[in-house]
Amino acid sequence: MVAVSTREKLKPMVNSGNNAIRIRVRGLGKRYGALEVFRGIDLEAGDHEIVAIVGPSGCGKTTLLRCIDGLLAVDSGEVVVDSERVTSPIAGVAMVFQHFGLFPWKTVYDNVAYGLRMAGISRAEITRRVPHFINLVGLKGFEKAFPYQMSGGMQQRCGLARALAIEPRVLLMDEPFAAVDAQTREILQFELLRIWEQRPTTMLFVTHSIEEAVLMGDRVVVLKGRPSNIHETIAIDLPRPRTRDTLREPRFGELRERVWGTLMSEARQAEFQLGA
Amino acid sequence: MHRILSGRYLPFALSLIAGVALWELAGRNTSAAFMVPFSETMLRLWELAASGALAVQFLDSATLFITGFALALLIGMPFGLLLARLQSLRIALEPYIMVLYATPMVALIPFILSMMGFGFAPKVLVVFLFAIFPILYNTIEGARSIKPELIEVAQSFRSNEWALWREVIVPYTLPFTMTGVRQAVGRGLVGMVAAEFFLSSTGLGQAIMMSSQNFDTSAVFALILVIGLLGVGLMRLGLTIENRFARWRD
Ligand SMILES: Nc1ncnc2c1ncn2[C@@H]1O[C@H](COP(=O)(O)OP(=O)(O)O)[C@@H](O)[C@H]1O
Ligand SMILES: [Mg+2]
Repeated sequence: MVAVSTREKLKPMVNSGNNAIRIRVRGLGKRYGALEVFRGIDLEAGDHEIVAIVGPSGCGKTTLLRCIDGLLAVDSGEVVVDSERVTSPIAGVAMVFQHFGLFPWKTVYDNVAYGLRMAGISRAEITRRVPHFINLVGLKGFEKAFPYQMSGGMQQRCGLARALAIEPRVLLMDEPFAAVDAQTREILQFELLRIWEQRPTTMLFVTHSIEEAVLMGDRVVVLKGRPSNIHETIAIDLPRPRTRDTLREPRFGELRERVWGTLMSEARQAEFQLGA
Repeated sequence: MHRILSGRYLPFALSLIAGVALWELAGRNTSAAFMVPFSETMLRLWELAASGALAVQFLDSATLFITGFALALLIGMPFGLLLARLQSLRIALEPYIMVLYATPMVALIPFILSMMGFGFAPKVLVVFLFAIFPILYNTIEGARSIKPELIEVAQSFRSNEWALWREVIVPYTLPFTMTGVRQAVGRGLVGMVAAEFFLSSTGLGQAIMMSSQNFDTSAVFALILVIGLLGVGLMRLGLTIENRFARWRD
């Protein structure tokens, strides 16, 4: 056992997230017409817990998050967030989109302010919060930039700031870094971890990268099959805060192999690639 | 000096000088009944302006144009947005819009004349009909091209319907509407002149008709020049406004 600082001793080394259940998904099923996307999904996420959801593309990860966000009506089962049954988007839940979802006609500042304005936050509070979150994601100096003037990585920083600014209880991340280049992606992963350490929230983190799932998650949920279902849930007992060093720990490699094995246990999952 | 020579000013100035010289030459070598030289046109323009007649006609035409055009914008844009959002209404009305958009509006003038006579209202209607379709059409196509993902983002942040229009649909559509507005300026001017030809006793269009009937060719040329310059000015204004609203498009 290595020595830990007093600050780190105050919180559990491994985030068990077992205190209060924030998100409870029970028996969730969804179909698009004849296409049954998933069926019988049971999922829970505790306070300050990060649940990573991996699965091959097309297995319904985005659909699942849209159902949990209340953007899509479900066909069976229910989604409950903090004892509130979700039928349409509820307050305190924010989503970060794979396609960034920035409004191209709004500047960085106005994009970040958007969620706050929709939430009916006072003007004074908005002018206080927006610069804070722009700084937090490292976009200081780009307040007046339009999305088209920024790289993908910067656009997603903005998308992240917009979601964080409403100070959500629950963050829904839909492959947030899938559309940026590999190097930027790695930088953003560790920045997100740093931000989360400062202010932990409950997070569902969807990805198709096994490494990313293991790096981010307290648990990794493997979604597969057609219609898909939760195939296995793997506890990630890597200590936090997670940093670049985490990637070199033997335990990280073991867990990555385990998730890989689970995903590959059926032959035809060839579209999968290892790598963050 | 070097910048002026290498920039767009030199070719622009040379072309203007050549054009005026050509006009002058052609005018001096044709019968005055067909064409007058540039210098004579300018002289006549000065006379018309000095007599006050030009100002009266210009104001008359401008009032007509602005009224018809403003109505086209005020009705065309909201109606276009509505049609983009209400699919069944759009499907029901689209054929009529397409037919009217494609119809040369001049063909409707005799009908409007017989229905409404010679007042201000029928002239406004003509300008309105000339101008509305580009605005309406571009607004519908623009509003329809908005990505569903962005609507979903708005819903995810709990936008209500009013905020969805204010924050997403209208700002997204405005540059498209402005493209329509720029096209509508040209059509509206044609409508204005046509309305004044057939339905009017006043305005620049009517002044052209009168001068033409009196074989006052220099006045005809002077008035055409005024309308042409007015059109160029309005087009430029439209382009400026369009660019202002399209700043966010790369
Ligand atoms: N709006 C929709 N209508 C019909 N089918 C859809 C729709 N959205 C997604 N699908 C289909 O549902 C399946 C799951 O999609 P999605 O949730 O986007 O998967 P993932 O995010 O895991 O890649 C895919 O086969 C996709 O083609
Ligand atoms: Mg997806």
